[in-house]
Amino acid sequence: MTTMESTAAAGSRPTGLRRFLRASEVQEVLALVIMLALIVLVMASNSNLFLSPRNIINLLMDSTTVGMIAVFTTMLMISRGLDLSVASTAAMCGVIIGTSQSTIGLWPGVMLALIAGALVGLINGFLVTFVGINPLITTLGMLSITRGLAFVFADGLTIPVFDLSGEHQATYTAFTQLAEGRLFDIPYPILVMSGLFILGIVLLRYTTYGRAMYVIGDNEDASFLAGLPVRRYRMIAYTLSGLSAAVAAVFLTSRLYAADPRAAPNIELTVITAVVLGGTSLAGGQGNLFGTLLGVLILSSLLNGLKLQSVSTELQNIAQGLVLLLAVGIDQVRQGKIDLGLWRLFRRQARASTQ
Amino acid sequence: MNTRRLSAIALGTVVFALVVTMALRGSAVRVLAQDSACPTAKDSYTIGFANLTEDIVFTQLVREGMVATAEEMGNVNLVLADNRLDGATALANTENFITQGVDAIIHFQTDEAFGNVIMARARAAGIPVFAIDIPMPGATFFGADNYYAGQLAGEALAAWVNENWDGQADAMLVLELPQSGPIPAARMQGMEEAFQNNVETPVADDMVFHLDSKNTQEEAFRVVSDTLPAIDEDAKIVAVTINDGTALGTIAAVEAAGRGDNLMVVGQNADPSGQEEMIKENSRYLGATGYFPENYGAQLLPRVIDVLECRPVPPSIYVEHVFISADNVCDYYPDNWPDFCSQ
Repeated sequence: MTTMESTAAAGSRPTGLRRFLRASEVQEVLALVIMLALIVLVMASNSNLFLSPRNIINLLMDSTTVGMIAVFTTMLMISRGLDLSVASTAAMCGVIIGTSQSTIGLWPGVMLALIAGALVGLINGFLVTFVGINPLITTLGMLSITRGLAFVFADGLTIPVFDLSGEHQATYTAFTQLAEGRLFDIPYPILVMSGLFILGIVLLRYTTYGRAMYVIGDNEDASFLAGLPVRRYRMIAYTLSGLSAAVAAVFLTSRLYAADPRAAPNIELTVITAVVLGGTSLAGGQGNLFGTLLGVLILSSLLNGLKLQSVSTELQNIAQGLVLLLAVGIDQVRQGKIDLGLWRLFRRQARASTQ
Repeated sequence: MNTRRLSAIALGTVVFALVVTMALRGSAVRVLAQDSACPTAKDSYTIGFANLTEDIVFTQLVREGMVATAEEMGNVNLVLADNRLDGATALANTENFITQGVDAIIHFQTDEAFGNVIMARARAAGIPVFAIDIPMPGATFFGADNYYAGQLAGEALAAWVNENWDGQADAMLVLELPQSGPIPAARMQGMEEAFQNNVETPVADDMVFHLDSKNTQEEAFRVVSDTLPAIDEDAKIVAVTINDGTALGTIAAVEAAGRGDNLMVVGQNADPSGQEEMIKENSRYLGATGYFPENYGAQLLPRVIDVLECRPVPPSIYVEHVFISADNVCDYYPDNWPDFCSQ
């Protein structure tokens, strides 16, 4: 490259958000920022506690389980994959930590849980990519298996992950510090979630693997013909999804001082809602982690704000359902499956009548 | 004005000033004494109530009772939340309550194991906690006396069998919920042991069937239907069930098999669906132990205020249990069944 060319290239180098996003995604992200700002505005005007530092920490802490998993669900869905087993995998991994503490010890148990989570993802990936089973059916089956295993391992009971004997105080204190420790007054789980988002953004934007996720999601056959290792990359995506569920389980268990086979109920739906709301297409090939982060924050802010106003659970569920429908609706419009011709006609007529 | 008169006025003024000063000082001392004796006492209180779930009748009745009592008391502002049968949600609700500066927390949450972290947060914030049905370390317990509640139903069933089946049943169905842990298990144990200890001829161990009801009517129907072929066609069957719904599922399954006449069931809760079944003619639902969830608020909220105003409260407060059957349902729920109760 000549000096002139490199200067020109440097001059046209995108700045700000455009460094990490495609041009079409910048508008989507800005729309999400506006949506989040509106929710924050409405909630803050109804409760003066909403923007208090303590509540912001609560809000972010409540979103860490969903957020940690959503990073890798986004990557998986960009490659046209789907994982419904993340919540039950997280429950099973938590129970592995709980049951391991009296046998191999707490920290080896944490390692075992991480391996188990990755293994579940690997099996999902193998069944989808090599055996060719539909991702929905594969991960739905895995959902039942891992939830069932969680109950079997725990004998149906919640296991305290707590130093009941007082003999291993240092070990348990270190473990609970995973969730309760702070750096610059920010709890570790929030920092870890942020770190995972940054890692995901770098992976998607700056690595061959990340860019291949878009190509595979867009057209799997063409990707295969172009020489991309489609199966291997999709296996990696499923494995990372399982591993992220295990990481979330470690922090959840540390936070609760307990491992519950019923943990993370319906979290998979919240994750998918956040990811789709964030602009990732259910049809694959599109998506970004800025959008997912905003999707997670929008859902958390909405639920937290409603809780602060003692809004009933039914209305909270309705609000969350409406957000999911909105997200899917936007996705359908984006894919051109919903014809907005009527809407355009209405706008044209409205314009004509004002002239 | 002469000097004597001036002196009298001056003296009167000084005396008045002294009296007023003493009175004010005295009241100030009294206020200070009151404050230092009970720093949490206030004119009105904000109390956080996190319900177990909003999806079942029992807990809805608990919430409605809490809200009604708070309105009646006038000095209680109730902040509501739903624990959704989930430990993480219960913890998040605790943190929300602390953010909202509540004076006390009433927690109806799913599992004793989450009590450690919930209580750690509440203790750090200096907020007293009341635990409904599931004990937590350091919280005042309020709720069911599970073993005793089970005993009442088991004894009633044994008395009925002694009177109507010559003291002998051939098989026993125990519709339980293993995954919910030791507290509901105490109910089941109370029912089973009280029946076996009070019936003239206990059911043989190999004819006692422990079935996982999953706490639902549908699952109870399914597991009972699957078990019936293992029991002789003309065997007399008793069933003890974890709640009214599973009792109804059991009755439906046995009646569907055409064996309803050889069945008698007892359960727990005595909610309206159970009451409706027990007042039917020739009902196979003998009755259920009542927990009176609608009265939880009226019994608990005054105790919460007692704690906040530094009056002594026992560490455990048990609800009063009564075995509800067709014979006494009108004494407790006359408004639910006006036609039946007017007979």
